[in-house]
Amino acid sequence: MAGWSQLPKDLLLLIAQRLNTHFDLLSLRSVCSSWHAFIPYSLHPLPSRFPILPTNGTSWGLYLSRRRILHLRLPESHCQSTTSSWLIKVEEDVPDMAHLVNPLSTFQFRHFPPNFPKNFAFSRFRVSELGQEYVLQYMNHRPSGEADEGSLHKGKVTFSCTSNGDDFVMLTIHVSGKLAMFRHGNKKLTLIDDMSCDDLIFFNGEFYAVDKTGRTVVVAIGSPPVLSLVADSVSGGNKKSLVESNGELLMVDTYFDQVIHRIMERAVRFKVFKLDQIRRVWVEIENLGDQILFLGEKSAFSAVASAFCGCAGNCIYYTNSFFFPCGQEDDAYTGIGIFNLENGNMGPLSSFPDYAKVIWPPPAWVYTDNIRGV
Amino acid sequence: MITLRSSDGETFDLDEVVAVELQTIKNMMEDRCAESVIPVPNVEGKILAKVIEYCKKHVKSTAKAEEHALSDADLKAWDSDFIKLDQATLFDLIMAANYLDIKSLLDLLCQTVADMIKGKSPEEIRKIFNIKNDFTPEEEKEIRRENQWAFE
Repeated sequence: MAGWSQLPKDLLLLIAQRLNTHFDLLSLRSVCSSWHAFIPYSLHPLPSRFPILPTNGTSWGLYLSRRRILHLRLPESHCQSTTSSWLIKVEEDVPDMAHLVNPLSTFQFRHFPPNFPKNFAFSRFRVSELGQEYVLQYMNHRPSGEADEGSLHKGKVTFSCTSNGDDFVMLTIHVSGKLAMFRHGNKKLTLIDDMSCDDLIFFNGEFYAVDKTGRTVVVAIGSPPVLSLVADSVSGGNKKSLVESNGELLMVDTYFDQVIHRIMERAVRFKVFKLDQIRRVWVEIENLGDQILFLGEKSAFSAVASAFCGCAGNCIYYTNSFFFPCGQEDDAYTGIGIFNLENGNMGPLSSFPDYAKVIWPPPAWVYTDNIRGV
Repeated sequence: MITLRSSDGETFDLDEVVAVELQTIKNMMEDRCAESVIPVPNVEGKILAKVIEYCKKHVKSTAKAEEHALSDADLKAWDSDFIKLDQATLFDLIMAANYLDIKSLLDLLCQTVADMIKGKSPEEIRKIFNIKNDFTPEEEKEIRRENQWAFE
């Protein structure tokens, strides 16, 4: 009787097309010899680097780098007394070399535990992709006087492209606070005057932008781009963030106290809203249930608590520059805090070990288990 | 009334309205109107039975004023039960649905298999589908390279 390894190529591809992530495809390719031959390395060949032209004809250029936020777990057959995960962000834009970055910040991990394998085999684990992050970086060198790419933009970069990468759109927040768009084929960024933007997200195939009052629009890409209202303002906090959770679009409103200047603002409270698309309003939700939200510096994503860390959901990982200790070196937890929606408790990540250990250090099962082969 | 005969000699009678759901059979009917029994040499009796069960259910749902017409939700629930099969039967069903050219069944089965694969490691996938790791040492090396990161 023929087995699955003899599945004809066209049927295997029909199945492969229904897999959403790069890692699922890689797993499929690694099962047996015929499947490896039939399934291309990527059904959607997409370089991790997209060259973006310089905005004013100077000698430097920018490229867009893609990072993936991944959730690693042991396969079910292994004995585990509690749910244990590792949340990582990986940048693979240089062939044969990867960077491990803090999932919530831009801090790159360089000091691995002594036994950590030089070549880390991820196929031993269940790998789920929780999100992608796009970062603009200088191509060859930074012009003198510029600390980082923040001079051109602040906040998130959102990106969308066709399946073979031959047409793309990048939307980001310009340093002036306006929306900036770059399309394949353009020579420079197009600024969209109509709003001052706090956050962006690419959700359900569309770009959503929110201003600091909570007024939210969909940006339809075109010449010129058209903004359509999807929700009115909400009263309240100082900074709005957009995040996808359980298939829905949520907005998180951050309240700061002592807004002395950007560096010293301290988050004291968060409110979460769900989008009512019909009435075009944000509706406050008191409880996230089993969901955990992650508001990183350059991306936002969510996870299901029971499958993630085994601790309670209904909380938010957030980044806050207030947590940066002066003069000390950054470490894995710098700048990150946890907020519990149920009781309003919050504090730096280091005060919440169960929530901190999913980020760093790498859990022991990630590198002490000696499994041969793939 | 159309009669199908499986590879192991079992016969199945179907109404024409059901038989045309199987595109391959529909094409054969158009070509061989004189034949009374259509052989289906690639498909075993117990698999053909399941295919026909699916088609009968789905035909009833597309008929408009049918007494037994099922709502979309009911049909989805029926489909969820239908696909609770062991991997060997799933495999045979996919091959049959492909040969008999039944698009909706093939879509359902492919989605089912994809859902079984999502988020799993290669070794888990092999266990679920009872597949042997048959890579040559050369191929093993390449697989290893694809499946690792060299962190800076």
